Amino acid sequence: MKILLMGHPNVGKSVLFNRLTGANVIESNYPGTTIDYTKGYMRVGGEEVEVIDVPGTFSLDPKDKAEEVAVKMLHESRDATVICVIDASKIERGLYLVLEIIEEGYPVAIALNMWDVAEDKNIKIDVVNLERILGVPVVSTTAISGEGIKELVSRSRGTAQVEVDDIFERVED
Amino acid sequence: MTKLGVDERWDLIDKISKKTVTFGEYKHTLKDAIGELTVKPLTGIPIAIAVLYGFWSFFSSFAGFFTDGFFVKLFDEHWLLWLQEIFPGKESWLYYIFVGDPSATNCFEAFGVLTSGFFVAIGVVLPAIVAFYLILTLLEDSGYLPRLAVLIDTILHRIGLHGYAIVPTILSLGCNVPAVAATRILETRKERFIMMTILAIFIPCGAQLGIMKEVIPDTMGFVIFYLFMGYLIFGFILNKIIPGKTPEMLIDVPPYQMPTAQNVGRKLWMRTSSFFKVALPFVLLGCVIVNVLYLTGFIAWMGDILSPLFIGWFGVPSETAGPLIAAFLRKDLAVAQLSAIEMTKYQMISAVVLVSIYFPCVATFAMMLREGWKELLGSIAVLAVVVTLYGGLLHLIWILLGVA
Repeated sequence: MKILLMGHPNVGKSVLFNRLTGANVIESNYPGTTIDYTKGYMRVGGEEVEVIDVPGTFSLDPKDKAEEVAVKMLHESRDATVICVIDASKIERGLYLVLEIIEEGYPVAIALNMWDVAEDKNIKIDVVNLERILGVPVVSTTAISGEGIKELVSRSRGTAQVEVDDIFERVED
Repeated sequence: MTKLGVDERWDLIDKISKKTVTFGEYKHTLKDAIGELTVKPLTGIPIAIAVLYGFWSFFSSFAGFFTDGFFVKLFDEHWLLWLQEIFPGKESWLYYIFVGDPSATNCFEAFGVLTSGFFVAIGVVLPAIVAFYLILTLLEDSGYLPRLAVLIDTILHRIGLHGYAIVPTILSLGCNVPAVAATRILETRKERFIMMTILAIFIPCGAQLGIMKEVIPDTMGFVIFYLFMGYLIFGFILNKIIPGKTPEMLIDVPPYQMPTAQNVGRKLWMRTSSFFKVALPFVLLGCVIVNVLYLTGFIAWMGDILSPLFIGWFGVPSETAGPLIAAFLRKDLAVAQLSAIEMTKYQMISAVVLVSIYFPCVATFAMMLREGWKELLGSIAVLAVVVTLYGGLLHLIWILLGVA
């Protein structure tokens, strides 16, 4: 199994990556820290899982060289599961990238990261309903302190492709 | 699989968020207040100056404390004396390469692999690197750097760069290699080329700053100022002559965060250890190569050939040829070597400037090649012009001041 960590710049992908794989990639509090991908491994239930820390990108339409790396990585990993890391305090723009990746047919799981920041800003997200509408696992996480990471890992194993048409139907319910 | 258009996608997101997200009342926090103070020009610029000045004072006092207070004594009074005593054959070439000048009284002058090589790498550069990265990591993790980018945006647009270019610039003060890689966050080829070129030419790295602080403590300020002016002047010129655009780039200014000791410690360790893996071999190898070149008379020969250029044009002694060869391997080593050459204060300034703006060190060179050979060739062309004109200009200034 192969997992790609994707999301906007500076949402905590590298922090999550270090947490998952025990690797040491540089993490900082500014966008554009990761400019190339890094591979790492973690063991989940006896299985070796390859995890890839991908540079941040706003969409699948690359604007700079680091974003090109990200999009190329996605397209070269047809068999991968994508964990989309979203800044929970800016959920809408994060969902844009999520939908793009879902439309391309990748199985997706969502980490609503920086959950603590969203709480500070008094933003409330109905995770259960979000999960029902999108049809993919959604887990709230705070990568810096490690909250939600275990759940994210176990839930991301069971994810499958979803159709956008179904999302349209479910959102009207 | 259905693919949506941009508008359809945003409509869907709108519907989803209406059903799942509620935005409560937002209270202004202390973090927001600090955030505003640091980006509004009226308060932000004084704060930025204070932060950068604090950065510099910490860097120089921390590095000075360890280098002058501890390593200089250790290396000059114990290590050098001990080596001079036990190393056999004072006349042999082996002694010359490893211990250096037998009459040397300090590790700067000796210039052997085991004396100057280790002293430069461990005694001078290590404390400088640790001090630099400690502060850099705090600035990175707190979230201050993007705010600095916002403040400096207007100035950097004049030289064809976006405010965010301050991030590679500051990284470059640690080491040019990751800084060249960091130019990938800039959007156009034009921006990347300008950034890469002026970084490699004008920004001295942490190792070089550390050694400059030891060798030319009094005139270092002028050297930095001259280099920084070059960064602005040549950035401005390149912006005018290179076709292409510098688009406005929207960046996210992240919330301030308290840096965690664990992450700061880990990053400091990673950067210091990778510095050692990359730099130490080059410093030692550089010593060997330069000593061999001296022994074979190659450097004296080069100095003779180039002396019209060195003496006539740049106004520095022809022995500067040796350090300039070393500079390709390690700039810190080259500056250390300059200290052993007899020259006036002003010649020394010129020589240090030349070492800085002349060819990037081999590690940076390799990184630039990875980013594209066309860019590298372009940078080298710019570099040749800069060294000739900007290096020569300094000589002209000394002549006009009557000190050359």
